[in-house]
Amino acid sequence: MRALVAAAIGLAPVLLFILLVSVVDLPPDGPTSPKPLLTADPGPKK
Amino acid sequence: MRRRASLVLLALAVFCVAMAPTLRWYAFPRLAKIPPNQYQETVLEAQPATLLNYSTLKAEKVDKITIIQTLKGNVEESRRIERDAGRDVVVWDALAYITGPDGKMVSQVPERYIFDAHTQDPVNATGESVDGDPVRREGIEFKWPFLTEKRDYQYFDAQTRTSSPIHYKGTRTFRGMEVYYFEQTIPWTKVPMPKSMPVKIPPEVIAESGLTRWYTTKRMFWIEPVTGAPVNGEEIHKEELRNARALMGVDTLTVFEGHVKMREDYIESVGEMVASNRLTVLLLVSYVPWSLTFLALLLLALALWLEARSRRPAPEPAAPLTPPVSAARS
Repeated sequence: MRALVAAAIGLAPVLLFILLVSVVDLPPDGPTSPKPLLTADPGPKK
Repeated sequence: MRRRASLVLLALAVFCVAMAPTLRWYAFPRLAKIPPNQYQETVLEAQPATLLNYSTLKAEKVDKITIIQTLKGNVEESRRIERDAGRDVVVWDALAYITGPDGKMVSQVPERYIFDAHTQDPVNATGESVDGDPVRREGIEFKWPFLTEKRDYQYFDAQTRTSSPIHYKGTRTFRGMEVYYFEQTIPWTKVPMPKSMPVKIPPEVIAESGLTRWYTTKRMFWIEPVTGAPVNGEEIHKEELRNARALMGVDTLTVFEGHVKMREDYIESVGEMVASNRLTVLLLVSYVPWSLTFLALLLLALALWLEARSRRPAPEPAAPLTPPVSAARS
């Protein structure tokens, strides 16, 4: 019985993590880049 | 005390053993995604190349043709489409701008590519286009899915506006990185005239003369399979104008012919970016899940060992020491 309780305690944070991933949206990624679509060679890549 | 410790270890082992597959098969597909605001430029070159000189109407050898390709994530459009699609969507506004050796425009092809941020499957929505023409993509373009498989994929060709298989041709090593090599050949196909050309020929003149544009290419990609990102790309590209006698005096004119390759500085830059992203993906799909699995086995073994020790019967108590009886002195 105590082993079952220990297993349940171990599973609880995993279930919480699953719930968190399914409910919480990833943080927004920011706005569209202000850089233009290029019409000239931007030169050597740094 | 030992029994309590073994139960704590058992709880930790269960946590680790459950967390490992959760990370790999539940969290990874939901957390790994292409950001909607990505901005990336790539420069490709063909050295030498054949190019149509529109002033002499003759194909000429030139030192270099440069293709400047920009991918720009359109966040506002992706949010708009996400509301209807009900999933994470990325909208890439792309431009392939081709310049001659003098830096002047030879051709340009703007595109809007809409795809699922997690699987990279195309999402068919309003606005999807190539050179202003609405299209309906059925294959991938620019990027392969995370955890790319050793199989053929449908790949969208912007010139023909159609999708056809791009074949997996084997695993190679590219600059110390294991990559999958893919190849696609588009046979000679009649394609639309680009909307932007160095000289303006009215569409009705083109239609009357019967002038047509034809194109063939062999497309090669070296794909890092964990991220699905191309670390190198090449194209052996040919374009012709046919039925050109009425306008240009000859039946067939080569517009462009060349072996287009990614420029060295961009190969290095993309390689560094892919190596960094690869580590992040590997942490979620491999390193952390496997570490948790081994840790779970270790904790379980330790828990069982402690449990077994706690159940071992206690040793029998030693017989009490009796002092030697000394002989009574009389």
